[in-house]
Amino acid sequence: MTPNGAVLFGFLVIAGALIARDLGSLAVILAIALIFALGSRERIWSALAWSGGIVLPLALFMALVWIGIVGRAPAEIAANTEGSRTAAAFFVAIICLRLFIIAFAIQAASLHFAGWTPLRFVGALSAPPVVKKLLVLTLSLIETILQAVDRARTALIAAGLITRRHSWRNLRHGWILVQTVWLTVVTIAIGRTRDKWPIEDTLGRLDGALASNTPRLNSADFAWTALAIAGAAAALGLR
Amino acid sequence: MFTTPRLVAIALCAALNFAIGNIVYLVKLPMYLDSIGTILCALLIFPDRLAAIACAFIAGFIGVTLSGLVINPFLPWFTLTVLAIAAVSALLTATGTETFRARPLHVPAFVGKVILFGVITGIVSAVVSAPVVVYLFGGVTGSGTAFVVAFFLKTGQQLMNSALLSGLTTEPIDKTLQVLLAALLYRATPREFIAMLRPAQSSAA
Amino acid sequence: MSEFIAGPNFSGRSAALMAWLRERAPAFFVGSYAEAALSGLSSTVADEIAVYRAPKPKRAAFAPLDFVAYSARKPPTLSGGEQVLLALHCFSLSDYASIAIDTALEQLDHENRERALAYLSQGAANGFTTAVIDNRLACPPGWSSRQFTSISSEFACDLATIQPPRCAAPVLGVQQLSFRYPGGRGIFRNADVSLAPGRAYRLTGPNGAGKTTLFKLLAGVLSPTKGELTLNGASYAPWRSGNRVFALATQNPDHQWCGATLAEDLARRRAALARHSVSLPSDGELLALVACLGIRSLDQHLYELPLVARKRLSWLWPLAGAMPWIMLDEPTLGQDRGTRAALADAIGRLTSQGYGAVFVTHDDEFAARIAHKPLRLARESIVS
Repeated sequence: MTPNGAVLFGFLVIAGALIARDLGSLAVILAIALIFALGSRERIWSALAWSGGIVLPLALFMALVWIGIVGRAPAEIAANTEGSRTAAAFFVAIICLRLFIIAFAIQAASLHFAGWTPLRFVGALSAPPVVKKLLVLTLSLIETILQAVDRARTALIAAGLITRRHSWRNLRHGWILVQTVWLTVVTIAIGRTRDKWPIEDTLGRLDGALASNTPRLNSADFAWTALAIAGAAAALGLR
Repeated sequence: MFTTPRLVAIALCAALNFAIGNIVYLVKLPMYLDSIGTILCALLIFPDRLAAIACAFIAGFIGVTLSGLVINPFLPWFTLTVLAIAAVSALLTATGTETFRARPLHVPAFVGKVILFGVITGIVSAVVSAPVVVYLFGGVTGSGTAFVVAFFLKTGQQLMNSALLSGLTTEPIDKTLQVLLAALLYRATPREFIAMLRPAQSSAA
Repeated sequence: MSEFIAGPNFSGRSAALMAWLRERAPAFFVGSYAEAALSGLSSTVADEIAVYRAPKPKRAAFAPLDFVAYSARKPPTLSGGEQVLLALHCFSLSDYASIAIDTALEQLDHENRERALAYLSQGAANGFTTAVIDNRLACPPGWSSRQFTSISSEFACDLATIQPPRCAAPVLGVQQLSFRYPGGRGIFRNADVSLAPGRAYRLTGPNGAGKTTLFKLLAGVLSPTKGELTLNGASYAPWRSGNRVFALATQNPDHQWCGATLAEDLARRRAALARHSVSLPSDGELLALVACLGIRSLDQHLYELPLVARKRLSWLWPLAGAMPWIMLDEPTLGQDRGTRAALADAIGRLTSQGYGAVFVTHDDEFAARIAHKPLRLARESIVS
């Protein structure tokens, strides 16, 4: 599967999930996403767990609000009827299943490229060169920022400005960590932009490294896309 | 419009948006703060308004896309909100750049502008986000909004109204804090970097 | 022909190096600032190599490290020395005909520095020219030398006048210390060591042995899995109580600023220190110390200072004697011979006044000038 195919598949599955209005059609879409993810066997469990972990807190709050407090579904509120907790429960289940499918579809699509380097993945995308450059730059700067966060946090804890745990001091001074990290990384970026990149034409080299021989779409992409469209159609049909 | 320094600024702000969630977690702050980079990008590129909107939006969009892959898969759904925040930041908040950078700091003017621009950004964000919150989340996006929405629903408000009112209760505070942080970061940014972001004399990349 | 550009700080060497590069552009450049060895366009080591690799590399690869094993590592997480070696590796695989290095070789240990110099000295045979600025090397044999002498006095620093007050620093004890990162291998297992005040200790050990981890444990950023720290025998838990003992100077000075201007940074640090220290340096003393380090104005925007000046400013709180122990991570990067000697002497004066010092450095000449005991990290223990 190519990155373009994965993006397309992901979009179609998510579109299907958004079109689907009831549990039955959502189950069809979920099944398609699961079949797709089965290709990456070991990682499918962590993808399921991660998606579940993202949705669970939302599900709990939604259940508390809709089933616990409000006690009826939005359609019943709009129709000004008595409503029931059962209808509210169905409403929450549909929303949560949809959210789970969206989270899982994204994870399932990216599972196929777990062994790819970011440069290879971005290079294989069909996107304008400036977009690819931006993605690569951003990914690189994220690593620089995270490293700076670790080092600056050490220094600021040693200086007594922030603490390891929750504290009022962190509320007052936590922003200093953000500022220090920002300025550190801006300084690094200034050096590169002013000196290194013009002398080396590093960005020109990046264009070469991003040029890819991978086909835009391959047969696996077409097969999965067809399946995703079928699923969306089924969801539409079951409405 | 997209010179190399501006590409760097976009990437820096996108990376900042992505990483701030990480920082917030490490310092154990009870807030979210996902648009500081978007607002900051607009401040940096100002006074070139069109470029500021474009660069801020792209920074915000890349931020939510990458965050969507790794941290929170529901962030990309708020792309229109990102565009709205970018527009407000470039057209309105950025008019305060001189105040933000003034040394010595004129506190009443600084605080006044931060609150005004923050509240407006919050209102715009709440209005644009409401349909997404309703359709995707059934009105409840987390602990902060849950009880506010429940209150409005219990009083008989329709879901869309409840989500909108809930957003209008929480977003202005959140966005004011983010405008404050963006303004402080802008204030601290070295002159050399801001000078690099001015439009190129010859035609840009 | 390889060129060695010599001279003290602020004599115009870097500008000359940039001019040399511009004449030969496109050329490979490793600057003096943090992460200068990295392209900034990759988030893995494999991608960093891919950015620079020429379709048909014309010369043998320079590979002092097994970069295949490093493939998935993120470049900013590599040590400074590893980043420089990676840059040289990328250069060797590229088609650049020229390379310039501005003090970055100082981050290499002795063995790798020799290897790098040997590689760079073979430029004529391998089809490239080299220019190097380095504060620790003499002009290598066979290289041409350019000497700069006149110094701009704007950031002149004079450490000789720094005289910290007397201090009775506590004995620092490490008892049965064990630490393991979640999901990672163990760094320390039942480590025991006692650090006496009035002395300097040089922390040594291979990459990954735990030097940064030990700094973090002593500063209270991490808490040990087992074991404890003691001050004069009494239990000390900086991860709970906050750091009361160490003044830290980070390797990249930018990591430790608490504000955008020097005035902001000083004010915040004083306020934070006031919670712990018995006696803080007065405003006047701090100002005098700042001037000794070469900075004339407190409204100075820290990040607009040259890197060499920022590095010197990072020594401020350690040299101010605000805390009884000081912790220095590669303090002499980018500093010329005279300044390094002056810093070594200042640390010597600190320890003779009763302070304790722990430092990490690849600068053997600097270390030799300070009377110190080696503290070696190896096989999950600390050996004094």
